[in-house]
Amino acid sequence: MNELSTLGQTGDLAPIVSARGLRKRFGRKEILHGLDFDIPPGRIYGLIGHNGAGKTTTLNAMLGLTSCEGTIRVLGEDPFAKRAKLMENVAFISDVASLPRFMRVRELFALLTNIHPNFSPEKARAFLEGTDIRPEMKIKHLSKGMMAQLHLAVVMAIDAKLLVLDEPTLGLDITYRKRFYRRLLEDYMTEERTLLITTHQVDEIEFMLSDIMFIRDGELILHMQMETVNDKFTQVVVNDPADQQAARAHNPVYEETRFGQTVMIFDGVDRAVLEPFGKLSTPTLSDLFVALMQRPTANPESAE
Amino acid sequence: MRAFAALVHREFIEHRGAFLVGPLILVAVLFGATILAFTVGRVDARFSGQVFTVAPLRVYEVGFLAFGAGWSLYLISTLFFYSADGFAADKRNNAMLFWKSMPQSDFKVLLSKFVAALTILPGVVYAVALLSGILLFGVAFATTLINGTGSVGFLGQIAIIYGQVALAILAVVACGLLWYMPFIALVGALATLVGRWAIPIAALLPALLSTLEWVTLGGFHPFATHVWGFLEQRLALPDTPYAEAWLVSAEPFSGWAFTLDLIAGIDWMQVVLGGVFALVVIFAASEYRRRGNDN
Repeated sequence: MNELSTLGQTGDLAPIVSARGLRKRFGRKEILHGLDFDIPPGRIYGLIGHNGAGKTTTLNAMLGLTSCEGTIRVLGEDPFAKRAKLMENVAFISDVASLPRFMRVRELFALLTNIHPNFSPEKARAFLEGTDIRPEMKIKHLSKGMMAQLHLAVVMAIDAKLLVLDEPTLGLDITYRKRFYRRLLEDYMTEERTLLITTHQVDEIEFMLSDIMFIRDGELILHMQMETVNDKFTQVVVNDPADQQAARAHNPVYEETRFGQTVMIFDGVDRAVLEPFGKLSTPTLSDLFVALMQRPTANPESAE
Repeated sequence: MRAFAALVHREFIEHRGAFLVGPLILVAVLFGATILAFTVGRVDARFSGQVFTVAPLRVYEVGFLAFGAGWSLYLISTLFFYSADGFAADKRNNAMLFWKSMPQSDFKVLLSKFVAALTILPGVVYAVALLSGILLFGVAFATTLINGTGSVGFLGQIAIIYGQVALAILAVVACGLLWYMPFIALVGALATLVGRWAIPIAALLPALLSTLEWVTLGGFHPFATHVWGFLEQRLALPDTPYAEAWLVSAEPFSGWAFTLDLIAGIDWMQVVLGGVFALVVIFAASEYRRRGNDN
């Protein structure tokens, strides 16, 4: 087990998701280049990467929507072979509105009550209280935000062990996005549940993440607990040219100038060593993302 | 079973426009047109034709049977389009992602569409056909009361006629569905693969297969092959000698005799083979759907 997967482990709990040598090809092009990772229960994971990096393909492999080389197990099952059974304990929201548009809200809840053993219509109705969504409304007549609210209510009313959100707030306004994530944290997350989120708006979910995975061109370049990220990476604002020169000797993984100030990000350098060069802080996820997407790898030993 | 029934029901919800709303609108339009026709004198409200003098109740039998034939044609065409569209409908508006997030197998979902095509959807059209019969009988009865050719005493006989014709229509619908079951499944399976292109492909497939046989095995022309002959036989419902004899007689129509005649004329081995074929193609289509990623 490499550093990536080890860093993600908590205790001896069996992982919710376990991937070994996960590869995916579309024609001659390989999209995933042998991913290895474990996702333990009770964690909130952020899977972050550029467009086309392989995030959705990785999620599709977990959800049994696509076949892959290598091994992937979700709740101990092969998702591609046992998708229907697995979905009793896995819920997901995709990056596009996918609710059946021909139904009314009450018809959707009645259908789900019958086809999903872990769906609670009472919970779903409770989650919709305070919204403008009414049982008689046709789903096709709902606005984009209402559609997202309804889908969130549906998945939160499913007693699942793993919830996968693929860009769930794409196209929604900031107010709604914040409410969406707050609701998810307050009303849904428990120690038994695991949440996996992909989004480009990384700063909005940073506060809730326990672990992050950065994916670039089909390879995991970072897989860590957030506490480890805070310990490992340091951002320094260096103004003095002499200090900048001295700081560069410690091999910053990223450097840029913002409003006349030079910002450097260091990987694994003792904070006491960096202290004399300027103001220290922990980089935001978006800064770290930009930094790490530009260097060969954040974890050379695992990405080979 | 509860989940399967719910999936069948959702097919009705998704396609109620074609199988309930459309037929009801059609009935309303026909009923309105009939009333209007009598009102403006377009129809001979005195029913002075010879047939009504000889057999005054014949109008009920012939009228309802004609309605039944019309509804059967409507059902065949809507079921064809349902199979070609409904089996691919989950791809629309990214809905496949939602259905794949449910703990139901692709085979069960496709089988529910197929079962819906054989039960609830034709059942609804049959119910509307019965309603259209009631309206037809109502108009005809009211007219005969007004023009003096009928009386309240006819009501019992009219009710019997209604029951006999309703039974005959039910027999045609049920036997027709069983007989055409493999075609419904085949078009549905094609739609799972190619979406709405299943409509032209389903129409071209027999010609392609027959031409292929002609090219490889020979024959007089592409439509004088074993394949074409089999399909011609398999696409036609069996003859019903009872119906042909009744048409030229003055006997009251017997739905029971018609039904027995129809059942006796069906090649039940072909029905069983057709059922097996239907399950095989639906399973193959469900495997394609399971392995595909049409999201």
